[in-house]
This record gives sequence, structure tokens and C-alpha cells, in this order.
Amino acid sequence: MSDDIKVDKVFDLKGLPCPMPVVKVSKGIKEVEIGQVIEALSTDPGALSDFPAWARTSGNEILKTEQEDDVIKFYIKRNV
Amino acid sequence: MDQQTRDDLLKLFQGKLNEAMRFYLETCTRCGVCTEACHVHASMGQVKYIAAYRAEIVRRLYKKYFKGRGKVWPSVGEAKELSEMALDELYDAAYSCTGCRRCMVYCPFGIDTQMLMSIAKLLLVGAESEPEILTLLADTSIEKGKSIELFKENFMEGIKRLEAKVVSKWKMEAGETAIPMDVEGADLLYVALAGAHSIIPAAAIFNAAGENWTLSFFEAVNFGAFVGDPTKSKLILDRIVNEAIRLKVKEVCICECGTAFRVMKQLAGKQPFKVSSITEVHARYIREGRIKLDKNKMDGGVTYHDPCQIARNAGVMDEPRYILKHLTDDYRELTDDPRYNWCCGGGGGLVAMGEDTLDFRMKSSRVKVDQVNATGADILATACENCHAQLDNLNDHYKMGVEVKFLSSMIADALVQDAQP
Amino acid sequence: METLYYIILVPMVYVAFATFFIGTAVRLIKIFREPSHPATLQIYPEKKPRWLWALHDTFLFPTVRRHKPLLWVFLMAFHICILLLIMGHLELFGEIETLQLIPHEIFLGQGFVGLIASIALLYFLFRRFISPVRELSVPEDYYLLILLFLIVLFGSQMDWARRWYFYEELSVDHYREYLSSMLYFKPYLPAEVSDTGHSFMLVLHVFFANLFLMFFPFSQLMHSFLSLPMNKLRRG
Repeated sequence: MSDDIKVDKVFDLKGLPCPMPVVKVSKGIKEVEIGQVIEALSTDPGALSDFPAWARTSGNEILKTEQEDDVIKFYIKRNV
Repeated sequence: MDQQTRDDLLKLFQGKLNEAMRFYLETCTRCGVCTEACHVHASMGQVKYIAAYRAEIVRRLYKKYFKGRGKVWPSVGEAKELSEMALDELYDAAYSCTGCRRCMVYCPFGIDTQMLMSIAKLLLVGAESEPEILTLLADTSIEKGKSIELFKENFMEGIKRLEAKVVSKWKMEAGETAIPMDVEGADLLYVALAGAHSIIPAAAIFNAAGENWTLSFFEAVNFGAFVGDPTKSKLILDRIVNEAIRLKVKEVCICECGTAFRVMKQLAGKQPFKVSSITEVHARYIREGRIKLDKNKMDGGVTYHDPCQIARNAGVMDEPRYILKHLTDDYRELTDDPRYNWCCGGGGGLVAMGEDTLDFRMKSSRVKVDQVNATGADILATACENCHAQLDNLNDHYKMGVEVKFLSSMIADALVQDAQP
Repeated sequence: METLYYIILVPMVYVAFATFFIGTAVRLIKIFREPSHPATLQIYPEKKPRWLWALHDTFLFPTVRRHKPLLWVFLMAFHICILLLIMGHLELFGEIETLQLIPHEIFLGQGFVGLIASIALLYFLFRRFISPVRELSVPEDYYLLILLFLIVLFGSQMDWARRWYFYEELSVDHYREYLSSMLYFKPYLPAEVSDTGHSFMLVLHVFFANLFLMFFPFSQLMHSFLSLPMNKLRRG
């Protein structure tokens, strides 16, 4: 986990079929309060463009993206 | 529902009335031959899941507003007012229909229930009563098309990270790129999905066949088609068409995704490239001797689920069987006639709606489970992400004890390296 | 009574035929002038030549044969009977000689065509009272079947009376006289047609047929014209 970001909930989306990562994140983010942050773990390279596009569409904010080996970590702040 | 809303919705309805749609709306004799056609009805038994009944839900509105009869004598056809309740019925009909078009094989006239349900879906979009998640997914796809430059770098970096895995399936010469991207003048543009599983095996096979290919920035699936919004479907489709034209490719190859393939193949119109499903491309590689497969990689009987949008609705039936003959000696058919294959029960956006539809998807697909079980096969292969996800869910839920596999990954695992030309 | 008979046998017949021809034409023109669907709607695997298979699907109902064999038997019988009955009626116009290329009597079914059609109609009607076709059916479907049944019943009665009970007061020549006068817009009702023991049957037959023709263009009966183009869409 990134040191400077406080994560309120973690979603493991590794290996899910299309389009489950985006579906789960957009549902999951409703489980935290506005202003809180979720961490989403994905193995989909497509998520690297899907998540930012989703964030722009839905009005949420991706604070940080980290790629480590297979796993991609997204830190997403709920704005709406 | 106020008059303004109703008028707006009826305008949307009017827009859907082309020649074929009029045929379908005018003709049904309610003979009931389609009764056994729908997997939902076959599994759950309710009359509302018979194709003719679903169609009648849309047709009743047509009879009310688009036939003179609706003003003179509405009750003769049970014509119905467009109301909130009618919208609920439309939702029920449209989002329990997977658009598999199996009923079309039964109908003496060939009425296309999926077409009729597209009216229902469009009205729901107009009334903002469609499943939100599908619209969100469609909007995300469109947004990606608009601002691809912002995400490109990151995406390419993510793809780079997959290359080692591709090479582990198929060794490359030094200096070759395992997953080429943005290659102008490539012969083939491969349009995948977001997941690594839709990129790695495909890449290994392209490399094994010595294909001059390039990976698309976009995902193949068209959520606009699921939600029944023609404008969005077109925008999502255009992203890929534009990329293909920009890169001057000769062929666009769609990954294992039924909707993506059918929409691209049948709705893209005349383009300077041809559209193929990855299954067709793989069969071609085998036929031309460009890849060689090892038959001993597969244990047990193999059966193949024809994705409706690829087989019955787009004609790719012989190719997967040809491929499977090179993968196993124990291939078992699900049906004598692939037109009659049961839908997996996940089409039309139902799988994309995730857990919300899980219970319904399991209940409505019992006949599919019976069909697979009857073959006694150990491996259930398919060539559609959507079908795969649904079949996986069924496998867990009904403890079917099969292994659900993508045809492409079976090919990738069976590649014989020394056959490299 | 005479006036009522006259209204049914003369003006109403004209109105019915006008409604049928104009209504059907206008509706078909409207439908066929709509833009065609942008993508193929076919079902695979495809078989060629497509138009031949579309004809096969339209006239032999292969999907019904496969899935509802009993219904198929009745459907085939009924539709063939309808064709024969249309031919028989055309022969009542003495002017159409081509139908007599191979000489035969009018209504070459000897009364059995009407009988088979009535039985088939009863079968269609009663199966609509059984689930799930009952839930699928709308009033229109029942009305049409009942109308058709009444038309065929009264029409056949006249034929049966002539052939089987040797009723001779109302003969083919009288029908011909009446129909010919209608065709040339010089309506004339021979006394045998409007004023004999079986006239009421003729009047009822014509009355129900008039209703049927007037409803035709606005009902699911349009499947008679649309079945072929639809089957062509499915064949690609």
C-alpha cells in the first residue's frame, strides 16, 4: 500500500472476466463515504485505460496507479 | 407518465420502425410454436418467457399507437397504453431475453425477438429506466475513445508487462516484439478485451503463425448494443473502425466475444478491411499449416458451446469444430444441429450486470446445464467471454464438474514450438 | 328482410372488397416503403439458393413440422383447402375459363375440402383455449377463427346440400348469374338466390365473409403477404 494514501476499502478484482472489474468498482465505491478512498487490485492491462475512462465518466478520481509485476493497483477517491 | 414523456418515448419507438420491424410487429399469429424455444421458459416454465409473449408486450404498444385499430378498437388486439407499468413489463421482457435468437429457428415466419426487444430497450433508455451499469459501461467505452491519448502510455506499459508471459507460451527471436501495438501497415488488427486472458494466448498464437499483427487500444465489446442504444453502439464501434483505417490494416480480428464480433461484422458497413472472429483466424492458421497443435495436451472428453452471436447469428460453426479436431480425438457435440444449441443464459448484457442477475441467470439456464451434462464431457470449450463467464457461474452453481475453457487458450497451450516455419 | 338481404349481398360486398383491396394495398405499400434494416437478419448455417429455401419455409412450414407435427398436419390441410376454395370461388365466375384447362367441376373437393377446413379451424380454435397458447392469444385470434369457421360452415352447407342431399333449388348457375352481375357492376339478385329455402345460408356466408375481408388488412392475416419476405430475411 502506498504510504501517503489512507485506504478505506480494498477490492480484489484479479482475474475477473470482462467487464466485471469496472462493474465491481463502480458498485463498490458506493460502499464508502464521499471523500474516502478505495484500493482496487486488477490483473487486467485493459483496466489501465478502462479505470481512468470510467473515473472521468462517473466523476470519481484516480489518485494513483501502481504497476507491480502482474498486479495493478488503483487508488480511487469517491467524489460523487 | 406525463404526455410529454410518452410522446418522446413514442418518437423513439417510431424511429425503430423500419421494414423488418414492421414485418415482425404485424405478423405474429400467436401459434405458440416458439413455446419450447426459449431457454428461460424451458428452465422456469412461466408463460411470460415464451418468445411470442415477450414480443406481444412490445406489439401491444404498437397496436395502440401505430395502427389505426388502436384508436377504433384497441381491445381486439389487447392494445395497451404506454405507462409506468408498461415500462416495467418491457424491462422484464427485454432483460430476461438474451437475444440468442433461438426462437427464430422455431417461428414459421422467422420473427426476430431480439429486434423487437431492441424497441423495449430503447424505450427504457429513453425513460432512464435501463440498467444503469450498462449505460455506465457504454459511456466509459465512449470516453476511452475520446481521450485515448491520456491513457495510451499507461496502457502500453501494462501491455509490456504481459510480454514475458506470451514468450513463455511461444519463444520469439531476439528483437521481436511479443505484443506489437500501434503498428501502421500491419496486416491484422487484433481487438481484445481488458483481461490478460484475452491477450496472452492470442498473442502467442499470432506470433507462432508469424502474423504481422498489432493490438488495438480498445476493447472489442460493445456495451451500447447490450443497452440497446444505437447512437452509443455506433460511437463504440467507430473507435475501432477509425483505428483500423488509421493503421491501414487488411483485417480486423475480434477476440472471443460474441456481441463484439456480430456488431463489428454486421453493423460496421462496407470498410476497407475484412472482419474475422479469432476462431476463424485460428482455423485458417491450422489449415494453412502456420501453426501445429499437439493432440496430447487435452485430457478427457471435450464439448463446445456455440456462442449464439458467433454461430447461429453470424455463421461461425465449422471453424471451431475444425480446430477441436486438431486438439482432441474425443470431441462431443452438444446438439445434432448447432442452430438448436441452448443459449448459455448470459447474453444481452445479463452477465455484464453481474451479481444483480446471478440468481436469474442460474435459474433460467438449467436446460443448458442438462445439455452439457448429457455429453459427459470433462472440458467445456467456448469462444465468447460472456458465455465463458456464465458457464463458469453455472459450473460452480450446479457443481457440473467440467472445466470451462476458452478455445484460444486451448490452442495456445497446445502449440508445438518446433513447427515454427 | 329483403332489404337486409340486398344490403348484405350487394352494397356490403362492394364495401368489403374495396376495403380489402385498398386496405391491403395501402398497408403493404406503407410497410414496404420503410427503409430496410441496415444489417443482415439471417440465421446460420445458410443454404443456397436462398430464395428457394425462403419459398420452402413459407409454403411448407418446416419449423412447425419439426416442433408441432399435429399442428402442421392441420395447418397444411387448412392452407391447401383455402387455396382450393379460392379456386372454387373463382370458378363461380363463368368468365374465368383458364381454370377449366383441365375440365373439372367447380369445387373439385366434392364438399370434402370445406369439411376438412372446418375441422382444422375447430382444431385451431380449441387449441387456443389450452395453455400456453391461451395466454398468448388475443381476442383478434379467436374472432378470426370463429369468423372463418362460420364462413366455411355456411359456405360448405350450400355445397353439401347440393351434392349430398340433392337440394337443387339454388344451383351453380344462379350463383354465376349473381356474381357475374356484381362483377360488371350491374347487381342483380335472381329470386333463387335471395328467396329460397337456403338463401339464408348464402346470406350468412356472404355476411361473415364481408366482415372477414374488411378486417383482413388490419389483422394478423397480413401474414399471408408478409410471410415470404420475412422468411427471406431469415434465409439472408
